[in-house]
Amino acid sequence: MKKIELQNRLATILILSLAALAALIAGGLVGYLLASGLPHVSWQFLTGSTKSFASGGGIFDQLFNSFYLVVLTLLVAVPLALLAAIYLSEYAKQGPVTTGLRLAIEVLSSLPSIVIGLFGYLIFVLQWRLDFSLLAGAMALTILNLPLLTRACEDALRQVPQLQRQAGLGLGMPKWRVTTKLVLPAALPGIITGAVLSAGRIFGEAAALIYTAGQSTIAVDYANWNPFAPTSFLNPLRPAETLAVHIWKVNTEGLVPDAAAVSSGAAAVLIITILIFNLAARGLGKLLARWLSR
Amino acid sequence: MTQSPAITVNQVAVAYDSKPVVSDVSLAFPAKQITALIGASGSGKSTLLRCLNRMNDGVATVSGEITFHGVNINAPQVNVYRVRQQIGMVFQQPTPFPLSIYENVIYGLRLRGVKDRSLLDQRVEESLKQAALWEEVKDLLKASAQALSGGQQQRLCIARTLATRPEIILLDEPTSALDPLSTNQIEATLSQLKKDYTIIIVTHNMQQASRISDWTAYFEQGKLVEFNQTAQLFINPKEERTANYLSGKFG
Ligand SMILES: Nc1ncnc2c1ncn2[C@@H]1O[C@H](COP(=O)(O)OP(=O)(O)OP(=O)(O)O)[C@@H](O)[C@H]1O
Ligand SMILES: [Mg+2]
Repeated sequence: MKKIELQNRLATILILSLAALAALIAGGLVGYLLASGLPHVSWQFLTGSTKSFASGGGIFDQLFNSFYLVVLTLLVAVPLALLAAIYLSEYAKQGPVTTGLRLAIEVLSSLPSIVIGLFGYLIFVLQWRLDFSLLAGAMALTILNLPLLTRACEDALRQVPQLQRQAGLGLGMPKWRVTTKLVLPAALPGIITGAVLSAGRIFGEAAALIYTAGQSTIAVDYANWNPFAPTSFLNPLRPAETLAVHIWKVNTEGLVPDAAAVSSGAAAVLIITILIFNLAARGLGKLLARWLSR
Repeated sequence: MTQSPAITVNQVAVAYDSKPVVSDVSLAFPAKQITALIGASGSGKSTLLRCLNRMNDGVATVSGEITFHGVNINAPQVNVYRVRQQIGMVFQQPTPFPLSIYENVIYGLRLRGVKDRSLLDQRVEESLKQAALWEEVKDLLKASAQALSGGQQQRLCIARTLATRPEIILLDEPTSALDPLSTNQIEATLSQLKKDYTIIIVTHNMQQASRISDWTAYFEQGKLVEFNQTAQLFINPKEERTANYLSGKFG
């Protein structure tokens, strides 16, 4: 065998075995969490509420809080990220301002989430007097997700062929209309994919929430649809422990006798939900792309 | 030439950042004729073409005068959207929007707020007929434009440009991405269109320029070398540089 062929084969084997190792670690971890958690997941577990001291508590409130927080965060984060991305991809000229903005986004994306959580605690919770609340949590998570979301949106916008923009301008469309009517619809699948992936990250986040959305849940009324009522489940100003925070809390200071079961069951639910988010991100993006290009 | 020009450029110069790419071009484009812009790659043909409907705005600095109906459309206060509706552009690659054929054709009209259904229907038929596409697509107007072949898409783009009733149509290598058959169809279309429109076309294909154009302008390194009736320029060029270029091209 020639030397170069041998090298090629060795490199391939090395790459394949490293990839297999990575897949094994990830797969093993997920498999372990599911295997140890799923037996504790039951309908009652999913729909029951937490107990303070007795065993047999559920995670319904936390599950709802997590989903609601995803919605609230995306409501704030997606418009912000989209505007930033539109500026960066459609309007920004090469220069110090753009470079500075990109640098800021880079830096933001490497901040540890606990730092963002503490920042949120100081600014949103204390200074702005939002107290421990869904809103404070949503804003902290917005900061956390803005860099990735902005980049996802910018990539999606840049994927749209330059010629489409030219064609629009050539027909006498003002630039903002080219952006909203031609570029944005074409970029929508990519944007949705980015948003759904962010949703997964939000769902799994704990550190940024411990000091912003809080670690406790008040008794809420799921029949009260008025978001301004203090006990309404939709009130964004109420404290809300999410599923990820719940797992952390049960593990550190859980007083219930079945703390281990609750924690591993909740972890399994968390993983499955994030998995669904990721699959949905792909499916939805593809579906939308196909529907838009009919 | 007896007819008055459709559009005139006077001492036009273009620079990207501070790099000059077109300098001191003066040229009167005859109305209702086809003018071909030829020259080596990078000689500034596209750049000059894009000046004619202000597509260089925000991309390059254009100085000099471009006169259209007695107005200098290169002046900053000119409404560029109006200019682009009157001077349409077709690009190197087909650029259909992800919409139906019908919606593609009337895109420019919708933009202007035209809602009258019968007017829209009529424009669609007219424009597609002018672009020699009507017979092929009249039964699938509601179908996606992206399902058409490349040549059909390019004729659709011509129809889309025609639908806003421009006076001048600018085409930048409109057939360079197409097969010979589609190219022939587009050329036939353009020859038909010159009855009603002024056509300015950039092309790398000398045969194409000699086949369809009435006038030809030869560019070299951002400068206009020679402008004459196509037959004259091809058979009996006045400038040696033109002759060299043509002999190199025809081999
Ligand atoms: N957006 C741009 N920014 C900077 N320089 C550019 C830009 N577009 C074109 N140029 C430069 O301007 C010069 C002329 O380009 P232009 O596209 O007008 O040439 P062309 O004659 O159309 O060439 P081709 O036949 O290859 O299309 C080239 O040197 C090119 O590198
Ligand atoms: Mg060109």
